[in-house]
Amino acid sequence: MRAILVIIALGFVMAIMISIPAGIIANQEAAQAMTTNFNSTMTTMQEQINTTATLIECQTSGQGMFSGGNFSGGPGGFPFGGLQQQQTYVEESVADAIRSIGGVKDVVEFLTVSSSETTSETINGPGGRTFTISRPVYTITGVTLNSSFIDDYSILPTNITAGRNLRPDDSGVVLLNSNLTAYFGVGVGDKVGIYGESFTVVGVYDEAGQGGSQGRFEARSAYMNITDAQTAAGVTGNVSRLDVYAEDVSDVDSIAEVISVAYTSLQVTTYKDRLSQLDNMQTMYTQTLTSAQATVSNTETVATQEIMIAVGATSLIVLFVMLYTVRERTKEIGTLKAIGFSNWNVMSQFMLEGMLLSLVAGVVGIAIGTVGAPLLSGILLPQISPFGSSGNSQFSRGFENAGNFGNFGILGASTVTVTPSLQTMLIAIGAAVLLGALGSLYPAWRASRTRPAEAMRYE
Amino acid sequence: MSEIVLRTEKLSKIYTMGKRDVKALSNLNLQVNKGEYVAIMGPSGSGKTTLLNVLGCLDKPTSGKMILNDVDVANLPEKELYKIRRNKIGFVFQTFNLLPYLNAVENVELPMEGTKRPKGERRERARKLLELVGLSGREEHRPQRLSAGEQQRVAIARALANDPAIILADEPTGNLDTQTKYEIVKLLANLNIDRGTTVVMVTHDSQIASHTERMLLLKDGTIIKEKQGLHLAKKKLVCPYCGSKIQPNDERCPSCRKRL
Repeated sequence: MRAILVIIALGFVMAIMISIPAGIIANQEAAQAMTTNFNSTMTTMQEQINTTATLIECQTSGQGMFSGGNFSGGPGGFPFGGLQQQQTYVEESVADAIRSIGGVKDVVEFLTVSSSETTSETINGPGGRTFTISRPVYTITGVTLNSSFIDDYSILPTNITAGRNLRPDDSGVVLLNSNLTAYFGVGVGDKVGIYGESFTVVGVYDEAGQGGSQGRFEARSAYMNITDAQTAAGVTGNVSRLDVYAEDVSDVDSIAEVISVAYTSLQVTTYKDRLSQLDNMQTMYTQTLTSAQATVSNTETVATQEIMIAVGATSLIVLFVMLYTVRERTKEIGTLKAIGFSNWNVMSQFMLEGMLLSLVAGVVGIAIGTVGAPLLSGILLPQISPFGSSGNSQFSRGFENAGNFGNFGILGASTVTVTPSLQTMLIAIGAAVLLGALGSLYPAWRASRTRPAEAMRYE
Repeated sequence: MSEIVLRTEKLSKIYTMGKRDVKALSNLNLQVNKGEYVAIMGPSGSGKTTLLNVLGCLDKPTSGKMILNDVDVANLPEKELYKIRRNKIGFVFQTFNLLPYLNAVENVELPMEGTKRPKGERRERARKLLELVGLSGREEHRPQRLSAGEQQRVAIARALANDPAIILADEPTGNLDTQTKYEIVKLLANLNIDRGTTVVMVTHDSQIASHTERMLLLKDGTIIKEKQGLHLAKKKLVCPYCGSKIQPNDERCPSCRKRL
């Protein structure tokens, strides 16, 4: 009975010893994954900015990726303020005026209107944390369905999963995000009522080129002809966003200057702004990565201390248990000596027992450790935080595909799994036996020095 | 002329208790011949156990000689003494002192550990010894599943493991009921007769002692009286329990009806 208790106690100590290296490895892997993920995201964003260098985005206020988005339950410093903004529009004539500015190649008009109805959405953050946000159920995006725009500026989604994409001069039809088919309860060919108007669903799309779903909002857009959108939303002749394309990158600055002076209601964003945003993100993520790496090296320091404590604890447990055992079995030792056991025989007997005790404890420890490693390492070691220390509330449409949702998407990609390796287990077994030997050295020596005549009197 | 197995000359053992010296043994002279069955008797504190410990090389005498098989073991170092204990002496204890986690046959094998005897032979010998003490079929039993008498039989078999020159028994019947007591005494007597095993037994039970060949009375650490025992064992034609005459092939004593 006592042996079982001791073995379980020792087993826990051994389990700690196993879990710690596993936790370190997991942390290292997580930091590595974060770095890799971050680098590839940065590259993608950089490429995207380069390919859209001639694009000048002109947005009306309230026009953003997550206008109307409202956060609850997020961690401190989360990059969204969550202020409700009133949607404003500009007249289509503005587009015509901009078109006449020298060096402007094309102006693509968009109208984005969000439904007044909202839905609660839960997204998974890293480490099992979840965040709930409130956002419009759907957003309609009216697009100028002009064949050259469709071809040149990829204004429509590309990943069509059912039906077909929108075509030039389509009218009365809608392309739904796959997330919305369930909401409306419709499929390709069905009619759907949006803002009181009836549309035929011609196709369903999915967000393309994006990895796991972790940390992302579901896209909830419905694409249609801009004229249809204007009619449905009751804002005929108005647009909410203009994508201005310059003939040449060298013209971008001057065009942007002219627009922002002439139309103060428009927020003008050029590739330079996007680059500086990218810089901000880079700074932010670098901080996160640095702190992750600091955590990893801190982990090693903590782990060294903890392993030393565990080693000490194991030896001490064995020491006291064996001392008690030797005391308790004094008479037996006397008997053994009386029937001809040498000092060495007695000593090796007790050494062996101590080693066997900790060997069994080692096996128990591995069993506990394998099951409990994630928990134990969670308690014992500092964990990598996937969140940066500060956030950036400005996210431009240019980052939408690559970064989508900042911190989550980039850094929280991998879940930390803590699994002790076979090597760790074998080392732990070896260490257990060694510590058993160490701990029972003195008790065994005491046993061997027992004088038989006195031992026999001991009851 | 019988061969001397054990001889002591002016054997003394002094314990220091605080400032006072206690003489447990003082100038004790003793001689035990091969094949003898000797009882040592005496009141409490007379030095019986000390004597047995010194004879069994568990304790060193303060002075004097102790010659076992022509070797003076009184001043041998521990690294020699354990060999003497293992090969020359068989111990039987009042409380049996079997190892609880070993079964009967493993307990008997214990003293053979560390000898050159191969493993299989040890097991074989242990089984034979258990058969000799009448425990065939109980070899795999652990001590807690054996009766007190059976445990003492195992202990006797263990004492015989390395064919010792002498068996030292410290109150071997002290923890046994009357019936079992005689069985053990008889077993020792039979070993003494059949195998010529030399036995020295400490007891304060005069009835038990009377079944030996020779009784030594110990007082204040020295032998004050020596008398012949009933010598039953050698004659075997006297009932060890009641002393009446028996025939060589009697199964029970004709007068007291005890099983022989």
